[in-house]
Amino acid sequence: METNILSKLKSISVSLYFAMPELILACGILLVIGVGFFTRTKKTNLNARLALAFLLASVTYTVLCWTHYVTPLTLFAGLIRCDQYSTYFKILIDIGGVLTVLMSLRSKDISAEKFNSEYYALLLSAVLGAHLLVMSVNLIMVFLSLELLSISSYVLAGYGFTKKGAEGSLKYFLFGSSASAIMLYGFSILFGITGTLDFTSIDFAERLIGSQSSLVFVAGMMALAGFLYKVAAAPMHIWSPDVYEGSPMPVVAFLSVVPKLAGIVVLSKFTIVLSLAGQSQFDWQVTLGIIAMATIAIGNLSALWQTNPKRLMAYSSIAQSGFLLLGIVCFSEAGIHALLFYSAVYVFSNYAVLFLLQAFETKGIESIPLFRGTGRTFVFASVVLSIGLISLSGIPPTGGFTSKLFVFASLWSSYAQTGKEILLWLIVFGLLNTVISLFYYLKIPYYAFLKTPAGQVLPQNTRFENFLAFILVVGIVFLFIQPDLLMGWLNTINFVL
Amino acid sequence: MLIAGISSWTIEKNVKGYFILLWILNGSIIGTFTALDFLLFYLFFEFMLLPMYFLIGIWGGPKREYASIKFLLYTLLGSILILIVLIGLVISVQAPESGNTVVHTFNLLHMSDPANYIFGSILNPDESWMIGPQTARWWAFLLLFVGFAIKLPAVPLHTWLPDAHVEAPTPISVILAALLLKVGAYGLLRVAYPVFPDEALALSSFVALVGVVSIIYGALNALASKDLKRLIAYSSVSHMGFVLLGMASLTVEGVSGAVYQLFSHGLISAMLFLIAGVLYDRTNDRLINNYSGLTSKMPVFFVFVLIAFFASLGLPGFSGFIAEIMILLGAFASGSTNQVISEGFGVVAAFGLILGAAYYLWTIQRMFFGPFHVKAEIRPEQLTDLDKREFSMLTSLALLILIFGIFPQLLLDYINPFAQHFSESFFNSIRFIQNP
Repeated sequence: METNILSKLKSISVSLYFAMPELILACGILLVIGVGFFTRTKKTNLNARLALAFLLASVTYTVLCWTHYVTPLTLFAGLIRCDQYSTYFKILIDIGGVLTVLMSLRSKDISAEKFNSEYYALLLSAVLGAHLLVMSVNLIMVFLSLELLSISSYVLAGYGFTKKGAEGSLKYFLFGSSASAIMLYGFSILFGITGTLDFTSIDFAERLIGSQSSLVFVAGMMALAGFLYKVAAAPMHIWSPDVYEGSPMPVVAFLSVVPKLAGIVVLSKFTIVLSLAGQSQFDWQVTLGIIAMATIAIGNLSALWQTNPKRLMAYSSIAQSGFLLLGIVCFSEAGIHALLFYSAVYVFSNYAVLFLLQAFETKGIESIPLFRGTGRTFVFASVVLSIGLISLSGIPPTGGFTSKLFVFASLWSSYAQTGKEILLWLIVFGLLNTVISLFYYLKIPYYAFLKTPAGQVLPQNTRFENFLAFILVVGIVFLFIQPDLLMGWLNTINFVL
Repeated sequence: MLIAGISSWTIEKNVKGYFILLWILNGSIIGTFTALDFLLFYLFFEFMLLPMYFLIGIWGGPKREYASIKFLLYTLLGSILILIVLIGLVISVQAPESGNTVVHTFNLLHMSDPANYIFGSILNPDESWMIGPQTARWWAFLLLFVGFAIKLPAVPLHTWLPDAHVEAPTPISVILAALLLKVGAYGLLRVAYPVFPDEALALSSFVALVGVVSIIYGALNALASKDLKRLIAYSSVSHMGFVLLGMASLTVEGVSGAVYQLFSHGLISAMLFLIAGVLYDRTNDRLINNYSGLTSKMPVFFVFVLIAFFASLGLPGFSGFIAEIMILLGAFASGSTNQVISEGFGVVAAFGLILGAAYYLWTIQRMFFGPFHVKAEIRPEQLTDLDKREFSMLTSLALLILIFGIFPQLLLDYINPFAQHFSESFFNSIRFIQNP
């Protein structure tokens, strides 16, 4: 007994070493809250700087230890697992966190004195939740980390302290908690069937194969509901436009990237387990394909009518989740690599666009028709914004095109291997949707360049936003010219369950 | 392109942005024509859209916003169809030197060689997959054809063209007509036909039908147009129909006629749009009914109008005639030599020439003959004759049209080997597929 405890303690201490980025983030949360006690009455950026430092430390550590994760490591007695797949997403999530902090520094909603330390602490805890979620292989751990991520996001969504913000936050909370409840119910049924919580273990898969019934399908769908909710995919997308509209811009950027990517990772692991290497009685590929199709269509068609840039970006992000799902629908190594590439481009483009939308918002340009003539008054910002939007719609010469090309190419080759007609229809449907999406992505450039300015807008300093967005856009264009630089690296990532 | 640059002199607002976009556009057009790699071809092809969108949208006429978005969505739809085929092809084709490890290739030359298709892949010519009632290759050719036909444009996918032409500024119209439309035909000749010879042969009658319908429908629409630029735009549709017909005939005459038509239409339509631009610069009005008896005010201008109109309607001595006669010859010859398309198409197409004569002569009669009369808002002294810049542009084009009309051999010497090679390798590869 004693040796048992000792060995457990030892494994925990070893695990802690590998969970260093998470420890860094956890320390960061405590420190930011602690410092918040002393800076409550002062106007200071100290909290933001601390949060930035901890996020940077976490991302640096993760990058430096990249080689440690070549073979997957199971930590904390099978609760979480470190592999390159999750580590890659951890890097993206941290980058998202860093960019969010930078955005918050310039936001008018996140002022320097109002609950400033809590904001950054919550941001760090959401990042921590996302970190844990991408690594989880245990159903309980999935639930806990998802809740850590969600609860932090519920509060963040209300940080504008406006009526709309409160409404959005409440909506988010109600939807989110019911989705979690449904997911938990699904988990409990799965646990009842399989007798294990580790969904990547062989036991889990074998018992599922042994007891195929419609109950498995129902339980799987229930569990998926929670993940689909996080990635804002149809039919669990309804919350996102209202939440985005009411939230401050940095939170919009955060919500449209970090929870989405984390959700996509766990969704991909989970559905691939559920498909039981093709032995499943239910065709999860078709199910997921239909979900992706519906998500893309709903996102794109609803976005056509929007006049508020935040709502537009909300629907755009719904459609983008659909394309991310397409990467999973391939059920192939190539599809996962396309998904990895797509996520990176998506992070870059989305942040570039939202950075500049925030810059315009601080100038009072809060609806799309007000963008008229900004092509003249803010030439640089408008051009960069347009490139970001074009990348989201997927037209050359941007990384968005390359990433869509990878996704569709892997769909084609999956079709060539399996001959499933739905994959072909997904290709046609997805590509036609990029034409539709171009219509609304070009709305802002349309007003900015094609319309003449309505009145004189006071020129303000946007150098900081311009600079950051420019770097991101350079990244996007670079990914178009040299995609193999990232793709070559991604191809070395093994996707193992 | 030089002509377009010179004719941009009249652009007044935001000159810097205009020229940046114009030169990006030119670069990508050249890129498209030189690419031998399908992906590169596609990238340049798609990259033409955005500069064009902004050029029409910012510097265009009153309805420019509608026209530019219509142009963009239409042509993007076309490129998406091409992209579907592109990805399918890449997955099915391996580079010949790759040996045991499969190396996918974008090279068009490799794609047109049936030996390079991976065994059992979707678009393998020996055992192509079935999608619905037809083979996957059949669908692929159809998608490519529709994609390029939008760009060409062929009826019924042409509706973006009149709008875009009418609203675009003169130099952009020139580029649009003289170069951009050619990209569609070039794509068909370069990609669709060599890569899918079997399917192209099977669908020849369909292609010819689309061509003939474009000829007649375009001409009839031109006859009914009230706006000078719209008339020219519809005449472009009609002329591009000839290109399709020549291509569909698959005879040496037909194919070289089609290529000749591309070249000569590039010159003639450029000249026509410059003429429309000259008038528009002076009066801001292009409605045919608002003018009459212009000859007395602008005699030199009238000479050039005559040259351009007669060249476009296919009068012997001008380059348009050579092209159209060769296409018709090819279409008729096809019925007797290779039985690809029936003579009936040629007969109907010949009516297009008569209609062409009708709308051009009627326009000349209405605008230039009779007593001098213009709309009330136009002051007669606005109608000055050509200045030096316009004169030099129009003269050079008119000379080229004449030279290539009188000495077609200058160009045919280059085109014929290509047409011969095209036609021969086309039938060769079919024979290869049928009995390998």
